[in-house]
Amino acid sequence: MSENPMQNENAIHVSNLERKFGDFFAVRDVNFEVRRGEFFGYLGANGAGKSTTIRMLCGLLAPTNGTALVAGIDVAKNPNAVKRRIGYMSQKFSLYPDLPVEENLRFFAGAYGLSGKTLLHKIDSILDETGLTNHRKTITSELAGGWQQRVALGNSLLHNPEILFLDEPTAGVDPASRREFIDIVKHRVQQGATAFLTTHYLDEAEFCERVGLMASGRLVTLGSPQELKSRHVPGDFWILQTNRAQQIKKQLLNMRPSVFSAHPYGKGLRVRTVSGLFDHNSLTHFLHSFDANAICAKGSASLDDVFHTVVKEDDNTAGEK
Amino acid sequence: MNLENFSPSVRRTLAISEKETFHILRDLRALAVSFVLPIVLLVLFGYGVSFDLDKAPLAIVDLDNTPASHNLVRNLTANQEFLVEDWLKDPNDVVTSFRRSRTLGALVIPRHFSANIEKGKSTDIQLLVDGSSGTVAGSLLGSLAAFVQSESENIAYKKTLQKSRPLLKTEVTLQYNPALQSAIFFVPGLVAFVLAIVAVLLTSLTVAKEWERGNMEQLFATPVTRLEVVLGKLLPYLAIGCLQALLVLAVGMGVFDVPMVGNPLLLAFATLLFMIGMLGHGLFLSVVTRNQMLATLGAAFTTILPTILLSGFLYPISNMPRILQVLSLIFPARYFMTILRAILLKGSTFQDLWPHFIGLAAFSIIVIAGARARFVRRIA
Repeated sequence: MSENPMQNENAIHVSNLERKFGDFFAVRDVNFEVRRGEFFGYLGANGAGKSTTIRMLCGLLAPTNGTALVAGIDVAKNPNAVKRRIGYMSQKFSLYPDLPVEENLRFFAGAYGLSGKTLLHKIDSILDETGLTNHRKTITSELAGGWQQRVALGNSLLHNPEILFLDEPTAGVDPASRREFIDIVKHRVQQGATAFLTTHYLDEAEFCERVGLMASGRLVTLGSPQELKSRHVPGDFWILQTNRAQQIKKQLLNMRPSVFSAHPYGKGLRVRTVSGLFDHNSLTHFLHSFDANAICAKGSASLDDVFHTVVKEDDNTAGEK
Repeated sequence: MNLENFSPSVRRTLAISEKETFHILRDLRALAVSFVLPIVLLVLFGYGVSFDLDKAPLAIVDLDNTPASHNLVRNLTANQEFLVEDWLKDPNDVVTSFRRSRTLGALVIPRHFSANIEKGKSTDIQLLVDGSSGTVAGSLLGSLAAFVQSESENIAYKKTLQKSRPLLKTEVTLQYNPALQSAIFFVPGLVAFVLAIVAVLLTSLTVAKEWERGNMEQLFATPVTRLEVVLGKLLPYLAIGCLQALLVLAVGMGVFDVPMVGNPLLLAFATLLFMIGMLGHGLFLSVVTRNQMLATLGAAFTTILPTILLSGFLYPISNMPRILQVLSLIFPARYFMTILRAILLKGSTFQDLWPHFIGLAAFSIIVIAGARARFVRRIA
């Protein structure tokens, strides 16, 4: 076997990856790399091809074209060597709800070939890491959703995987629990693991070092959250508080293309303009000609904006074909 | 394969078996039911279901009403096989008695019965049988006809006052089950039935559940192989099935005096072979359906029904229409049933039974190969 992990600095290297189901391209010509120790986010609407990609990377689905190197190993050629080095937490509940937390962990530890004292130590340390020590005897189905996800995460951490694949791990979980969950993953990344997270919570993607965005099977953009924002939604963001939002919006949109967009935001508006079009004073002055009580403040781009812009562009280009 | 490669595989298999055992122990009620059910079935079949006639209710229409006709009826009821439930005056009332399900058969003794016998003239006796229940009607007809035949011989013998014995006499010996006890007939069938249900139903259910919940995908993201999943899941059920088979045999032998004439080891071998086939069958169903509901339906149609209907458990295969006889060759229950009865009751050896063993083995190989092929295809 010519798999030398040191040869390749990338934890994941994907080139021309494709998966067809019949005539449908679930994933089409996807190329990217994930560096070792990176926290990588994978965004996209439902059905964009995120799960199909992750399943190919984990050796659960064979690609119809292209290659994926995970930990330096070609997944399609040697899926079992990959499986030993990765942790996978699937979108669906991958737990046995009728068993206690401890027995779930015990089983997956066994499935990774652990036994005896090593296994017991490992279970204790995972319970501690995920904050589940007090729940070790609890039947898993009796735990709240966020806690169940921690058990599932624990299951995928038992064998100290180099790369963690988390497929929408926090779907349907409350924000506080989501934050705690992500913190556990971050801690692993600080210790040297690589994390590959799919999500449709854009606030989660903000924590990622780099983010890839999928739409209709293609990877349409890739970069750090900051890069993505300046690439796809450049300019200045302003938050306006006014009672005359409709009228002001109309006036602002008349200034296109210097003003990119103006959307309702609470009772007011959120506006994106060409960089430097307004400063605080000039905008206030402009607003006061319509509403003497209007207030404005500098806003900032979010991945939401990136997501909407990119998906809209993708739809437009798709429509042109 | 050296031991270092081998032992993690065994460890992983055992981890799956252990987990499966945890599942089983979490649901003790289901486990208890799965042990109590076979015993209930055994007692039901052993005591309740019987094709022997016992106190079958009859109607008598005695139009003759003479000592000779009274004597005939007395002889009929002498051995408790029949019981006179209705004494009727008019042969037309027999139908009413049948309709009310008071009686199953009727005997009409004609006028001049006694007089005809005196004169040595032949007399017609009418037998009526309620044919709505086929099996009962069959045995009833047989018994009544035999009775009339022997009565007629007795009368003829007395009339002619012949001292000589009849020229032809049948000496009947019933081998292997002299008293024709139902339980002895049923216990082997029940062992097959119980094993088939446990093996196919439980495995197809539990494996289908893993698909349904998405656990299977999670399992395949670990180094666990398909073979390890299959073996790991099947081992605990194999153990349960063997325990149940032993239980049914023990109760059969202890309570119903089922003998063990043949070699218990040969029996154990046949049981193992049958179980492997049934487990493979359950696995195949679950891989194909990936759904507990469909797997259950599939199991019911392809295992439970053939085991009851096409294996010779209740109805002899030789009495079936040709097409069903051919169909029965597909189902391993038929071979296993034959082997069980032959070993338990007749002491048959492997030399006697090898074609049936081949039938069992062939089924196991085919379903397991089929399950494995589907298994691989569904993932990639």
